[in-house]
Amino acid sequence: MIWALVLVPLVAGLLLYALPRSAEMTAKWLGVAISFAAFAVAAFGHAAPDETVRWLQRPFVANFHVGWSGPGYWIVLLLTLTTGCALMVARLPRTRDFVAQMLVLLGAMTGVFVARDLLLFALFWDLMLIPVFIVLVAWSPAKSSATAWKYLIYNLSGGLALLLATAAFGILTGSTDVFGGGAPPGALSNAASFWIFAGFAIAFAIKTPVWPFHTWAPDTYADLPAPMAAVVGAVQSKAGLYGFLVIGAGLLRGPMQQAATLAVVLGLISLLYGGFAALADDDPKRVVAYSSLSHLGLIVLAIFSFDPIAYGGALVYIVAHGLFSAGLFMTIGEVELREDTRLISRLGGLAARNPRLAGGLTIVSLAALGLPGLCGFAGEILILTGLYHAGLTWAALIALVPVVLAAAYMLRLFQGMMHGPEVDDLPEREDMSPLEILALAPLVIAIVLLGVDPGPVTVQVSTFAEGFHLQASAPPNEAARTNLVVGRTP
Amino acid sequence: MTQQLLIPFGNADWAAVAPLTIVALSALVVILADLTLPRALRRPAGIGIGIAGLAVAGIVAFGGWGHPYSAFGGGFVRGGFAIVFEEIVVVAAIFSLLLGYTLGRDDQAGGAIALMLWSASGAMLMAGASNLMTIFLGLELLSLALYCLCAVEPRAGGREAALKYLILSSTASAFLLFGLALLFGATGSVALSALAGPNISSALFDAGCGLFLVGLCFKLSLVPFHVWTPDVYEGAPLPVTAFMSVVTKAGTLAVLARFAFAIAPLPEAQALLTPLWIVAAISMIVGNVAALAQTDIKRLLAYSGIAQLGYIVAALAGTSAQGLRYAIFYLGAYMFMNLGAFAVVGLLSRPGVEGSDLRSFAGLGYRRPLLAAAMTFFLLSLAGLPPTAGFTGKLLILAIDVGSGYVWLAALLVIGTAISAYAYFKIVRTMYARTTGAQIQRPLAPASALPWIGVAVCAIATLILGLYPLAPSDVLPLVK
Repeated sequence: MIWALVLVPLVAGLLLYALPRSAEMTAKWLGVAISFAAFAVAAFGHAAPDETVRWLQRPFVANFHVGWSGPGYWIVLLLTLTTGCALMVARLPRTRDFVAQMLVLLGAMTGVFVARDLLLFALFWDLMLIPVFIVLVAWSPAKSSATAWKYLIYNLSGGLALLLATAAFGILTGSTDVFGGGAPPGALSNAASFWIFAGFAIAFAIKTPVWPFHTWAPDTYADLPAPMAAVVGAVQSKAGLYGFLVIGAGLLRGPMQQAATLAVVLGLISLLYGGFAALADDDPKRVVAYSSLSHLGLIVLAIFSFDPIAYGGALVYIVAHGLFSAGLFMTIGEVELREDTRLISRLGGLAARNPRLAGGLTIVSLAALGLPGLCGFAGEILILTGLYHAGLTWAALIALVPVVLAAAYMLRLFQGMMHGPEVDDLPEREDMSPLEILALAPLVIAIVLLGVDPGPVTVQVSTFAEGFHLQASAPPNEAARTNLVVGRTP
Repeated sequence: MTQQLLIPFGNADWAAVAPLTIVALSALVVILADLTLPRALRRPAGIGIGIAGLAVAGIVAFGGWGHPYSAFGGGFVRGGFAIVFEEIVVVAAIFSLLLGYTLGRDDQAGGAIALMLWSASGAMLMAGASNLMTIFLGLELLSLALYCLCAVEPRAGGREAALKYLILSSTASAFLLFGLALLFGATGSVALSALAGPNISSALFDAGCGLFLVGLCFKLSLVPFHVWTPDVYEGAPLPVTAFMSVVTKAGTLAVLARFAFAIAPLPEAQALLTPLWIVAAISMIVGNVAALAQTDIKRLLAYSGIAQLGYIVAALAGTSAQGLRYAIFYLGAYMFMNLGAFAVVGLLSRPGVEGSDLRSFAGLGYRRPLLAAAMTFFLLSLAGLPPTAGFTGKLLILAIDVGSGYVWLAALLVIGTAISAYAYFKIVRTMYARTTGAQIQRPLAPASALPWIGVAVCAIATLILGLYPLAPSDVLPLVK
């Protein structure tokens, strides 16, 4: 069943090319149907057992092993949901080909989050670059493909570091099937595990992105068509955080703790740099990209604090950021389709003409700036509490600055596009259609639900964390305290 | 005295060389058919007979599986890992013949196909060669036919390519031959097994090894002995380029592996072989950097081949049996992905014009989506991305290099691969980019649909080798 989640989109994506070029609507609704079917299967198949097929026996054991982990489950739900919603409103030339690439991306990314074998993880990690590269090349507004190259070279370098680290891990411990009762990572020497972690960390830091590896991200998000920008911005960036959480904290705790100070500093720089850069950019897609750098920097802090509360917050914020950034990319895409531009300086007064669109953007940008009651707040407060709890008070204090900045740049974005004097020379178009509202609705509902009750997600992470003995050094009432923070009775 | 001159070989000896004899004889049949058949039938008949002969040879060679035998007094080995190299040569030659519709004029086709078959039989001789004489015999049989094949078409670069190849390759052969002579002088024997004998270490021996390795590196086109490769690949006809890119490499690699394993027990083996690993490392970097600027697919694949051979030789570092298996695995993977790419070029060619210019790929993703998808797949494999044989092969080499302590080779391999991504994805970009509309050429009818077979088989093989749960050690017999 879990394999079907990976293979059906991959195969369906390739088979879409067999449809006639004119069957754009068929292709689109097929894509939507597959995405939501995957969502349903994942949501109800939570208890599905791991599935393993033999792969390599030498030089080390590697298996096609997929299964659910706590974070993986929620991210796959996020992935399938955003893909379905984004495809519903996809309106661009050569829709059939675009939907095909989206489905390949869906399959490859699902593979990343369900892989329970390091080599399989590396396989899907590299595979998910390809559809994004092709879309950047084929649909990018710019002629030079410079963005595509930047994306590819950054991420492929990371992917190769990951592959080398995986190969070294496999040959030194004898198995990469480590989440299914394989070789314990204790078999590694200190030096080896440090270098292996370094390889993984480079890949994860580039993908997240963490300053100073971030320069590919704003260009990529700006040049991708809105539906794919929504999926890449919401979910692909989470692959790096997921890697730190599952592979880093799960397998290579020792070297990860050694690197903690460096990572916390880089996370703080990302937080501040992203926040300030988002204040200055005229392109709302780039604003969202920089705000992502800032938000995801906060999650990096959480992960490297090794605190159970912060871990709960990290997962909540991973999902929350996915929901609202997908919503932001989609609404910005709607604006761009209507007005033929998306620059803040060129837009203004859209709220009067398109009130429903303004309403949609309001909700997602409020979630992004961390309004209590919406999902962004739930994640932020848990992470900040966790940082304080872990003794990183100074980091928590610095991290408060970008939280304030978030309000500034999100309101600036909203105000610049929706309020102010109307710009006369912009074409006047219809407000959001029912279909577009329907596409945004699931995200908005999820934003509210997660904001009101993030409990299920944190519970997932605490059971997951226990699985990796995260709380070995923490007081025994830690789980109770986590529940206290999220307002649930044990 | 006359008694001793009688040939002392039995049936088993002749059976050992049966596969390459069949290939050589089928070349004669091709020439006979060329003399007797009407003109229109000559080329299809030649291709058909050639493929049939190669297929039979492949099956016969497979019969030696699990029955290793040292024939002709240790001159030629049947079974062992020679079989895998023989099969690789056979399959590569078949794929090259599938491209044969663009090879020369109709009245030259028979001769060209026969030359290709003889060259293949030379490579098969190298695959099993286990003394210095047979090594040289195989190498010359392989090379002499190729000199002619490079010039078979009266094209601008063809003669130049042939002449360049002839002169440089002969020089390399001279180095190799001199090396062989010195080795014979040092050991008093032509057998490779005598190389690791006691008390043979001497300056003579070391010089012989060095010259011999230089000759082999030239044939493998490793940096700095690579300068001939791009020009020859570009000037030679497409089927010949495809043939050279795999068959020469397979034959030479078999010799290199046998030689490296023969001298491995010596105390100074590390010192003698370390330059080889360094040459492999330089090849990975230089080959990939040079590939970046190429706009002709044949030249690009030439530089890519330099780097890929670097990867394969890197797998031999540490001279472990496991490393040899992964080298062979990667060679097999390289054969399929490389020949698959050549088959795509073949489908873009028409008589007189080869589709190897990068511009003939413009907009291919919209004109012929299936062909573009296949090409993308082969390029992914060459770049070492999943889900392909190139990915698995590279992973295995990384693992064996880290495992045998050559972490620096693994690191350089990763760096080389990162560089190569631009070269390969440049083609992907050309196929899918929207903005190249002005350069799109009219769709052309290919000279023949035959290369589609090559594309399909190579694509399936590249996928299966990448994912099938089959460790290379399950199939590849040990070194002997």
